[in-house]
This record gives sequence, C-alpha cells and structure tokens, in this order.
Amino acid sequence: MSRAEQAGVEAAAWLIAQGDGPLPPESQAAFDAWFNASEGNKVAYWRLEFGWEEADRVGALGHDPAALVHESRYLPRKRWWIPATIAASITLAFGVHQVAIQQPATAPLQSGAARFAARSYSTAVGGSRLVGLPDGSRIQLNTQSKVRTQITAARREVWLDRGEVFFEIAHREDKPFIVHAGDRQITVLGTKFSVRRDGAKVVVTVLEGRVQLDELEDSRPTGSSIIVGGDIAMAAGPATLVTARSEEKVESALAWRKGMLTFDQEPLLAIAAEFNRYNTRKLVPDAQSVGAIRITGTFPSNNPDAFARLLHDAYGLGIEDTEREIRVFR
Amino acid sequence: MGAIGSMLDDEEIRDWFRREVLPLEAQLTHFIRRNWRVEDDVIDLRHDVYELAIVAARKGLPVATRSYLFVIARNHLINRAKRARIVSFELVADLELVDHDLGMFDPDRHLNAREALRRVQEGLATLTPRVRQIVQLRKIYGLNTKETADRLGIGSDAVRKQTSIGMRALTDFMLGVNTRVHTKSGAPKRRGRGGAA
Repeated sequence: MSRAEQAGVEAAAWLIAQGDGPLPPESQAAFDAWFNASEGNKVAYWRLEFGWEEADRVGALGHDPAALVHESRYLPRKRWWIPATIAASITLAFGVHQVAIQQPATAPLQSGAARFAARSYSTAVGGSRLVGLPDGSRIQLNTQSKVRTQITAARREVWLDRGEVFFEIAHREDKPFIVHAGDRQITVLGTKFSVRRDGAKVVVTVLEGRVQLDELEDSRPTGSSIIVGGDIAMAAGPATLVTARSEEKVESALAWRKGMLTFDQEPLLAIAAEFNRYNTRKLVPDAQSVGAIRITGTFPSNNPDAFARLLHDAYGLGIEDTEREIRVFR
Repeated sequence: MGAIGSMLDDEEIRDWFRREVLPLEAQLTHFIRRNWRVEDDVIDLRHDVYELAIVAARKGLPVATRSYLFVIARNHLINRAKRARIVSFELVADLELVDHDLGMFDPDRHLNAREALRRVQEGLATLTPRVRQIVQLRKIYGLNTKETADRLGIGSDAVRKQTSIGMRALTDFMLGVNTRVHTKSGAPKRRGRGGAA
C-alpha cells in the first residue's frame, strides 16, 4: 500500500469512528498521536473529512427517491429499487425514523406505485411506442427516442434523453409534471404537448393548454417562457424562439403521431432529413440540383420509396435506388 | 512536528487547505500525471505536495495559493526526477519552464451547490451497489455503523470497511473530476508543448 493510500485508510477509519460518537479517552489519545505524527496524516484526514462532508449533500436532497435518479442513468434498472427498498425496510425496522422518512419516500411504496416509479423507454429507428404512466398520463415516443420516467406520489418527472415524445398529461393541480430536456425544463399541470430534442436543441409544440419552459444554467433557472396551445417554441443555447400562434403548424408538427409527415413549402433537403429520422434507408437528395425544391404535402413517414416515386412522377426527378440509399437528382 | 515560534495552528491551516487547496486537486493531479510517467506514483506525489505545502504554510499562508501549490509541485517533481533518474533531462527542463503556465489555469474552481450535488450523485453511481447502499443509509437516513450493520445483517467491521471505501472513492471523485465549468471566451489553454503522457 502506498504512503498516501495508507494515510487515507487510517484517516477514514478515524473519521468513521468519530462519526459514531465521541471517542473514548484512550482512543482519543491514540487519535491525537496519529494525527500529530505527521503533516501527511493531517492532510489525509482533512481531505477525507472534506470529501465526506461534501457527500452529505446526498442527504440534503432528503428522502426523495427522485433525488437519486440523475446518477443512475448508466446502471441497470434494478438499482432504482435501492432507495425505495431501503426506505421501506427502515420504516419497519426503526420506528423512530418513521416520521422523518415517511413522506415522501414511503408514500408511493404504500400505494404500490413505487414499483413503477422509475422506468426507461426507448424506440429504434422508425419505431413508435405508446406508454401509459402510473399517474394516468400517456406518452408516445417517436422514432429513435429515449425517455426515463420517475412517477411517484410525490413528483412526476421525465427525462428526455433523445428524440421526440408526445405527452398527454393527466391533470394534477398540486403536482406539476416536469420534463427535462438538456438545459431546458418544461413544467405543466395537465396538457398535451410534444418535446423534441436534437442534442442541445429543444422544440416544444403545444397542442392544448399551457406549459412553462425554463432555461437552466448550472441547473438554475435563468429564463422562463409560457407557451400556450398552438405555439411552438424552439430553444437552443441561450435563445428561445416562440412562433406566432398557428394551429396548423402544430398539427403538422404532430402528424408523426399518426405515422405521417406534413410539410408546408419545405425544402427537399429538410424533408429528406425528416424522413431519415424514421428510416434506415436514407433519402439523399443532391443538394446542388434538387435540395432547394420546396414541397407541400402529407406523406407516410415509413415509406420514403413512395415519396421518391412521387418526386419522379411529379417533378421528373431522377431516382437511384441502392440498398442503403435512395438518391434523388436532376 | 516541533513547535517553532509563531506557527499557524491546525485550525487555520485546515481552513486554508479546504478553502483554497482542495479545489485545485483536479488540476494538481492532472499536472502531476502529465509530468510524471509512472502512474502508480501520482497519488503519492500529490500527497507529498500537499504535505510540503502545509509544512511551508505553517510560517504564513501564501498570497496566491495556486502558483504556490504548483511551484511546490514542480519543484518536488524535479527533485524526485533528479534523485530517481527515471525521467529524462528534457522533462526536467520542461518542468523548469512551467512558470509560464501557472497563471493560465481557470481561476474559479469552486463548485456551486448544485454542481457539487450533481458531482456527489455521479460519484455515488460509480460505487459498487453494496458500498453505495451503505453510503446512502448513512448519509440519507443518518444511520451509524451499528444501525447500518443491524439493518443489513452484516458485521460492524464490514460496514466500516465499506464505508471507508465509499468515503475515499467519493472524495476522489468529488475532488478529482476535472471541471470545465465557468470557461468563458478566454478559456484557459493547454500548454503548447506536448507534455509526456
């Protein structure tokens, strides 16, 4: 064991012993001797003391299972159970702790909802998935999307890791539903809206009701916008753009829910990018000759071939089919 | 330590160490690792640097902790290199030029509360399930060693051992992850010369 490691192990042992209460006199003397034996021991002790105090922040989050959600991203789902399980067994084992622990961690347990508290859902390219949440809300995942949900009696939260999701939120006056998407946070009470995330860019499309869109910097809200039915908000970096009210645009933006893509005078390049979200065989328009052609219409999202044939028939464009790509050119 | 004149007491040194030295740990570790090719030595070298820094600070706290700490680190590496003869002269020469870089580190390394919280959570996730569970029992539910042992049906010694592992790992994680927060347009630059890996 290296010197630093040795000092660390010893320091940790002292800190743990001291954490359990005042040391008996003979131990205290032993500690003093160890502590004063070298500056190296002091360094190790102060360093761990500091780190262990910092770790108190875990406790500062309170007895809140959701508090443990963030860090769990890369772990098997099983470990979501740990805090809830602990809370439950402590309630049984230590009556004294019960008051402190009971709310809110054990409340969902008692209703059985904690079983569904933390889940993760995803879709592959071209996939779509409808999920009912324990609070009565429904979410619909679009292609290539991933969300994690944490629905308990205490809070309702969803993390959109990538892709696009339509939310149909059951109304709860006292319990907001929060969607985290990158550095944006969307808070609603009960409404219908969708959130699409491409990396740092977040687009919120509201079908009904109102949502609050907050910008977070270092996890603190710095800017807030209210978006109502018919609005589309696009947020990237520090900018949030809310478009003028347009029911039609919202309908178009949400056409994917019916397996359709709707375009209004969109350039072919953008349309291809949209199709390519849903299909592994990519639509590749030649940027120079045809990329700027603007097209209006509604097309099935899973059938780029039909769309390409239409381009051929209607515009006389050349189509070249390969296993991986559908090239469009003039 | 012998008592020499008007030395600063532990309380003052401890405050300074926590407030100004520990927040530099990620940078310091990075600096040592970059300039020392034996990975196994890095943690010991850092420990030495802390110790040397504290010995010197007993006579009076430095005005600028950052450059003070990195000068100590540089000198210590040079001494060790010369003594051990395991490092090329080029590296020593390299280290002697380090002064230029000392001012280039990002000045504000203090994490705000939310960042620190996130860091702890990330640190927790790196622990094994058992260690994490014990840390949670202690930190979230305030159980002591005995209570934790009873709760899990294991011995107190096992709890102490796992707590020790968790404590050291979390501290390493909290202090060690190199933050790139608050980098403004004039972001600190890497050293121009490619240091030894």
